[in-house]
Amino acid sequence: MKNHPTNFTRRDALSMTSCGFGYLALKGLLSSDLQAAGFSNPLSEKSSHFQSKAKRVIFMFMQGGPSHLETFDHKPELEKSGGKKVSGKAMLAPIYKFNPHGKSGLMISEIYPHLAKHADELCLLNGMHTTSPAHPQAAIALHTGSQNFVRPSMGAWITYGLGTVNQNLPGFVTINPLGRLGGAQNYGSAFLPASYQGTKINVGNSMANIKNENLSDPDQRRQIDLVQSMNRGMLERVGKNSEIEGVIQSYELAYRMQSAVPTVMNLKKENQKTREMYGLENKETNNFGTQCLMARRLAESGVRYIQITHNGWDQHNGLSTKLKKNAVATDQPIAALITDLKDRGMLKDTLLVWGGEFGRTPEGQNKDGRRHNNRGYSMWMSGGGVKGGIRYGATDPLGDTAVNDKMHTHDLHATILHLMGLDHTKLTYRYAGRDFRLTDVYGEVAQKIIA
Amino acid sequence: MKNLFLFITFIFAGLGAYDAKAEELTTEGIAFFEKSIRPLFSKHCYKCHSSSKSENKGGLVLDSQSGWMDGGDSGPAVIPGKITESILIEAIEQKDSDFAMPPKYKLSPSEIDNLKKWVRIGAPDPRDGTPVKAATSTINIAEGRKFWSFKPAESSTLPDVKDEDWVNDPIDRYILDKQASKKLIPAADADRATLIRRVSYDVVGLPPTPEEIRDFVNDPATVQVALKKVVNGLLDSKHFGERWGRHWLDIVRYGESVGRTRNYPFPFAWKYRDYVIDSFNNDKPYNQFVIEQLAGDLLESKDNRQSDEQHIATGFLAMGSMDLNERDKEKFQLDVIDDQIDVTGRAFMALTTGCARCHDHKFDPIPTTDYYAMAGIFKSTDTLSGYGNRQGGGNKLNRNTLISLRDKQDAPESSKPVKPSKPSAREVKLHDQVAKLKKEARSLTDRLQNFRKAANSKQKKVSANEPKKFNPQQTQQRIKQIRNQVKRLEKQLGNLTNERSNGVTNSGNLAMGARDAQNISNCKVRIRGDVDNRGAEVPRGVPQVLTSKQPKLPPKSSGRLEFAKWITEPSHSLTSRVMVNRVWHHLFGKGIVRTVDNFGHSGERPSHPKLLDHLALRFTGEMNWSIKDLIRTIVMSHSYRLASQHSENNYAIDPDNEFFWRANVRRLEAEALRDAMMSVAGTLNLDPAKGSLVQKLKAGEVGKNGGLQSLKSFTHRSVYLPIVRNYVPEFLQIFDFAESSSVIGRRDITTVSTQALFLLNDRFVIEQSNATAKRLLSDERLENQEERIAGAYLLAFGRTPSGAELSQFRKYIDEAKKNGQAAEVAFSGFIQALFASAEFRYAL
Repeated sequence: MKNHPTNFTRRDALSMTSCGFGYLALKGLLSSDLQAAGFSNPLSEKSSHFQSKAKRVIFMFMQGGPSHLETFDHKPELEKSGGKKVSGKAMLAPIYKFNPHGKSGLMISEIYPHLAKHADELCLLNGMHTTSPAHPQAAIALHTGSQNFVRPSMGAWITYGLGTVNQNLPGFVTINPLGRLGGAQNYGSAFLPASYQGTKINVGNSMANIKNENLSDPDQRRQIDLVQSMNRGMLERVGKNSEIEGVIQSYELAYRMQSAVPTVMNLKKENQKTREMYGLENKETNNFGTQCLMARRLAESGVRYIQITHNGWDQHNGLSTKLKKNAVATDQPIAALITDLKDRGMLKDTLLVWGGEFGRTPEGQNKDGRRHNNRGYSMWMSGGGVKGGIRYGATDPLGDTAVNDKMHTHDLHATILHLMGLDHTKLTYRYAGRDFRLTDVYGEVAQKIIA
Repeated sequence: MKNLFLFITFIFAGLGAYDAKAEELTTEGIAFFEKSIRPLFSKHCYKCHSSSKSENKGGLVLDSQSGWMDGGDSGPAVIPGKITESILIEAIEQKDSDFAMPPKYKLSPSEIDNLKKWVRIGAPDPRDGTPVKAATSTINIAEGRKFWSFKPAESSTLPDVKDEDWVNDPIDRYILDKQASKKLIPAADADRATLIRRVSYDVVGLPPTPEEIRDFVNDPATVQVALKKVVNGLLDSKHFGERWGRHWLDIVRYGESVGRTRNYPFPFAWKYRDYVIDSFNNDKPYNQFVIEQLAGDLLESKDNRQSDEQHIATGFLAMGSMDLNERDKEKFQLDVIDDQIDVTGRAFMALTTGCARCHDHKFDPIPTTDYYAMAGIFKSTDTLSGYGNRQGGGNKLNRNTLISLRDKQDAPESSKPVKPSKPSAREVKLHDQVAKLKKEARSLTDRLQNFRKAANSKQKKVSANEPKKFNPQQTQQRIKQIRNQVKRLEKQLGNLTNERSNGVTNSGNLAMGARDAQNISNCKVRIRGDVDNRGAEVPRGVPQVLTSKQPKLPPKSSGRLEFAKWITEPSHSLTSRVMVNRVWHHLFGKGIVRTVDNFGHSGERPSHPKLLDHLALRFTGEMNWSIKDLIRTIVMSHSYRLASQHSENNYAIDPDNEFFWRANVRRLEAEALRDAMMSVAGTLNLDPAKGSLVQKLKAGEVGKNGGLQSLKSFTHRSVYLPIVRNYVPEFLQIFDFAESSSVIGRRDITTVSTQALFLLNDRFVIEQSNATAKRLLSDERLENQEERIAGAYLLAFGRTPSGAELSQFRKYIDEAKKNGQAAEVAFSGFIQALFASAEFRYAL
């Protein structure tokens, strides 16, 4: 192995003092001074295109294509057609019963007893449809609006459009994202500046590099002070330079993040009642409950866009077992999140979005499974300026194809941006010679669901 | 109502034969339009077909005369006087359910009659105004050629300058002249220590060694003479190609996996990486470099080795990210072609041709037909990435869709000239056979489907067109038989083609690349980019705005070679201008044209157009496309040598330093930063890595197959790190690595706290600091703390610390020790502070 040589002499080291510069410490630069000096922080808060209720998004991604027919799309016709053939296909009756809930009488599957209590807060989107019936394409399209090209994710667009409130935390956080089906692309910033990409956090782990394993906090502060004093020395020598000013600011931010991130991630700060409400004490609900509680803490601390993920919703079989298990794992935590946000007065400006990349066919498969269905499926929203206790959109009587108030992935994106106060046709970024949008040339805002 | 209708009919019955000219509108015609047609359009059509809508359906607008004259995606809506040829009539009569308007109901019979009448009498329409649409090309190519970048480069008389002594190269005259006109005064020269650090990072991406610094700083010769020695040494170093090769890899969206939906590894992509590095090291003329990447497989070669090299070069076309999950084979192909058009247009010519896939380019004179002219060239090309678009989990790396190289590493070099071969007679015959069989299968399938449809709808009569003896079972069997036969023949054909284009099939010596397809054909325009919406066929060719004479493409070859040669022709100057600008960008931190990948209307204009042309002409002329000459020339100019010092006066006039009055303080790229850190620590292995860690990945989707092994023990330069899409090494990603699916000639420079966190806390940084500390603490030549600190400073910053700096560091280390840190830990903490400082991260 050939190394970079190191044989310099002492004389070499000392004979060049003439090239050295005088050191002159600058007084501490405050970030407001930096702004004045022309350094602009890409994540500073920006005003929306118009007034809106929602200030932040929590997207609950149910990977795999949850069956709308067993969850949020009540299809009495399908119950009757179970076991019969319709246009040559054997129908499978919904495995679970639906019951009316709340004042609205919204029909919700029996596998969501906790969530059902919030029926009047839910806006069921029963007319969803998307372009591809394959997991990777549909998942990437759901996150980025495009299955054909590498494009920024929705979280990156929103952070780009609105900046973030708490400068001590990232603006876009994704908890337990999947490594496949697009992986990092689903929270990437593509051609947008890298500061808008999602920061990955795993349950049980905090953010990468948030803690120094070697130095105590005071020791590290001294080290940072040394770095900053060198940085200021450099700035002094070079004169006006927004990049070096940016470096100085980045260290102060980093230092503050080091205490802010572990604090917000520290679920021990929550009382026992809350922990129980989210299901942290149960094996079945612990993982997703932790994600939901982390999401609430991040939302509360001013993070703009938060995604949490639960996977394993691809029921080609096992609607009677695996789907139930998924529901159990997520039902109580999601209900707790809604309750908690409501109690804190945050539901009104937090937009919750629930859903997977597509749904499933009324046709059965493998005894108790269903095939992929991109023609019609369900998602739901809650809080943040959407009407509660309503069903928007519908599939045909058997639940196969969206027929009324159809909502394509592009329309979903347009609507989410709208709820955040952003006009999806105006939120553009110029790259490779043209203006790009999350919705490309598509997208219609579902006006009827806006409160 | 009926009476009125009759009345109008009566009036117009006498109008007779019609002449379509708008100026011959009769008052009667206008009256009829106003009375019966305008209200009808307004009531039934404007909702979707008016120019005030942001998305008029099908591209058609009906609120102006030119709207229906130009028509929408399907052509003019109305042909005046001709009912049967007017698709508007066809649509409202709703005879074909796929083409029925309005979509949800039918016009009343009288409304339909009125519209028919209106068409019959010549469609009188008094409305004027321009419709808002771009369905048909309105691009004026001749006008478009007047744009600065589409005109050939022109030589200019060298500007006179006051200070002749300042001028080292004609470049300086252009720079100084502009500065003088803006009343800017160039900064003083950078000192030698700063200069050698700058030039060392710029040319090889590594910090200068203490010896190099010493020799240069103490060289009694003039800067000009001393610097030339340094620059020549750096350009001759093998590290030059590693540095500039990586710049190129950014531009060509180099990646070692498919990315996107099914992220399979590209285990042979690194051969292209090495090809690029070698090409820069060997100073391959840039025009040859371009031609090899687009059409190396079609070039003659003097021996197997060169043939391999040229084949590997075409990996350029094959390593785009793809959607392997795309079910539609044709869409998959057109998406791959789109990537190829995009990378070809932007990498070589900074032309955003990809914009013209769905519509004429909105800003540049590139009609959709130009896009499909190029698409034809790539459609006639097989892209050999190792993967196809099969659905599901079956995408195995397929050696039949890779290039087998000829030269076995250990075999003695063959010196037989190798000619690119044409398909053999047997191949052609097989190909025709397959095509015939497929056609038969298609028609049988259609018939079978029709038959079943008819049977399903319980019509007694099977079908009027179907002969009575149609036997579905037999047909089904025949289709099956054909399919098997096709499979067999295609396999034979694949083997033959592979042998032809690759020579050896049974060696593991494979590469990605391209070859001419068996089917050489033009591409049809896809209206609005929709694969199934075919428009006119466009002959293969090159963008019209850049040529008045299309290159002659041979009918039996894709035309890639002619296309590639045309790209480097001097008849247009985009290719040379773009490359000169890229080099300038890397040496000055900003291009003469800031938007290095976009020389079109939506890009920026050059700050020094004459200088750009001057350099482009020298590059293709006296320098004979030598990148090394170009770099040497620019680096030896006086303009390159300035200090980065701020000046209030200049700053007030030109805050963005558009006129290069000082050196830009430039952040080291992620690779240079990692390499520098390891070089300081003495942990960097300066030998090129052999192959890539990607080769060690198990087959299948990255992420599912266990992912990459730890990079901890990887000590080669960063250019050799595995670039698996979506799994780019953290260090690179945090410091703004180029997104590996896109053409990136200019990386982002973000300064965010995640970088600070990385430098403060990441294990890698701490390990490199420890290694540096160990290295310095055990160096017996360094006698005391001060010397060790000075040594660290010299390694990290290329200078020695001032007295004040020294005492500050001493104080830090002493206090750390007082707080209980071991001497090594305390010293390492100081080293880490150096790594974390702005001075380490920036070249002044």
